[in-house]
Amino acid sequence: MPSVSNTPLITNEVAVSVRNLGLTYTTAIDRRPTLKARLKSLGGKQTRTIRALDDVNLDIEYGQVLGVIGTNGAGKSSLMRVIAGILPPSQGRVEVYGSVSTLLALGVGFNPAMSGRDNVLLGGLAAGMSRDEIEQHFDEIADFSELGEAIDSPMRSYSSGMYARLAFSVAATVRPDILIVDEALSTGDAKFKEKSLNRIKELRSEDRALILVSHAMRTLREVCNDIAWLHKGKLIQRGEPNTVIDAYQEFLHLGKSAVVDEDL
Amino acid sequence: MSAPLQVYEPFRAGLPPLGRYWKSLWARRTFISQYSKSELREQHFDSVFGQLWLVLNPLLLSAVYFLLIVIIGGSSDSTRYGHLTASLFLFYLVSNSLTGGVKSVTAGQRLILNTAFPRIMLPISATIIALFKFLPTLLVFLVMRTIIGLPFGWEMLWAIPVFFITMLFALGVAITISCVNVYFRDITSFLPYLTRTLLYLSPILYEASSLSPKLRALEVFNPLFPILDSWSKAVVHSQVPETSSMLQGLAWALGIFLVGTYFFLSREREFAVRL
Repeated sequence: MPSVSNTPLITNEVAVSVRNLGLTYTTAIDRRPTLKARLKSLGGKQTRTIRALDDVNLDIEYGQVLGVIGTNGAGKSSLMRVIAGILPPSQGRVEVYGSVSTLLALGVGFNPAMSGRDNVLLGGLAAGMSRDEIEQHFDEIADFSELGEAIDSPMRSYSSGMYARLAFSVAATVRPDILIVDEALSTGDAKFKEKSLNRIKELRSEDRALILVSHAMRTLREVCNDIAWLHKGKLIQRGEPNTVIDAYQEFLHLGKSAVVDEDL
Repeated sequence: MSAPLQVYEPFRAGLPPLGRYWKSLWARRTFISQYSKSELREQHFDSVFGQLWLVLNPLLLSAVYFLLIVIIGGSSDSTRYGHLTASLFLFYLVSNSLTGGVKSVTAGQRLILNTAFPRIMLPISATIIALFKFLPTLLVFLVMRTIIGLPFGWEMLWAIPVFFITMLFALGVAITISCVNVYFRDITSFLPYLTRTLLYLSPILYEASSLSPKLRALEVFNPLFPILDSWSKAVVHSQVPETSSMLQGLAWALGIFLVGTYFFLSREREFAVRL
């Protein structure tokens, strides 16, 4: 491990380069696409096109801790999924130098009938890790999540807090070059929040790029050295955390009350 | 930094680069075995009674069908019972693969939305699970056929290529149906009718040779017909299966596998937005 300073240096080594990225997709208007629905509306148009990302240009360098903010539906998660290689872009080009965490954390728990242990193992294997690699990290994950014996019970018996704790523990323990943490920051009780924030700070280093998608502005102000603000699929502003967050909060016509800072 | 570079660009319609796809699939083969293991454990097939049920269920079923044949048909012998059991066991391999495969992609939604991996792993796992459920029944059949005194012979080895054809077919249907289910979720409701129809149209409750030639002309439309016929010839009668049957079964299996895989691979990149 390289030395971890409180304000990591930006090394100017590009981790992710996003060029003119556009993402459109068509979804069915029906909630569930069925044969019955398709037959009923034969000939009629039953899809609508969603423009999730529109001409986004973004460079992320190693050493950077980038916070991504925006209202719901701004395209934050879509952007993360393109960077992780889950959604293919419709236009533009994305270059990723290094291994991405592939939002691993959120894939954990895909099968609620299986135990937390199985889910962690399967999520890791699907992401392309080896069994040894996962088993090596497993104790650390279990320790960090503080789930105790619950790790071996089916995940459907977990509370949403326990769910989130396990997910964050996976994200924080597996150490990829580029780590994406999507909303997982602001979950759990106060004690776990504190703990996860500290872990994020530990993970900042010169040879890692961190991307945090969050609505917890105070946390972002504290941790990030760069903020990107997305709105309706477009990159509105990018730059120094306090400046961008202030502009964002002004845009939302909201004062800087403590509630807004933390829970927006 | 010697970091690997990955480029994501708009994809053209059609297949992804197959070489890279295969490499990434092969690297994740432990996922498939681990997933099958966990799934079987979750369904309690690692316990004694779970395994017993695995064997008991088709055995009881074959007993019920046997009763039916005796009552309706009148005549019966041990070969008939052997044929019924062996065919039913193999049929269950395909039907388990079908019913397990249909929801494999939609059930993996959380994983698909958050992890990049070859999606075809999911229906493959479903087929492997069906295979693990099949293996103990094969053992039961071997014991049974010894008890009821069916002939042994080297011709039984023909069961091996027939088995591989069946696996290819089972894999093909699992891949196809899992892909179809993404676009038409109600296909799951049709499935019981499909498997039921297949069961009655295939030479399971009767032997292929006992069908009238007029009816046998229709068998070309049923992929399972030549497969089950060859299977019964080899494992029950200890005879060499007809080459034409084997080839016909292979053609069906290969056809469904290739068409299904083509559809799956060319569609899988948009699964994430379809789920």
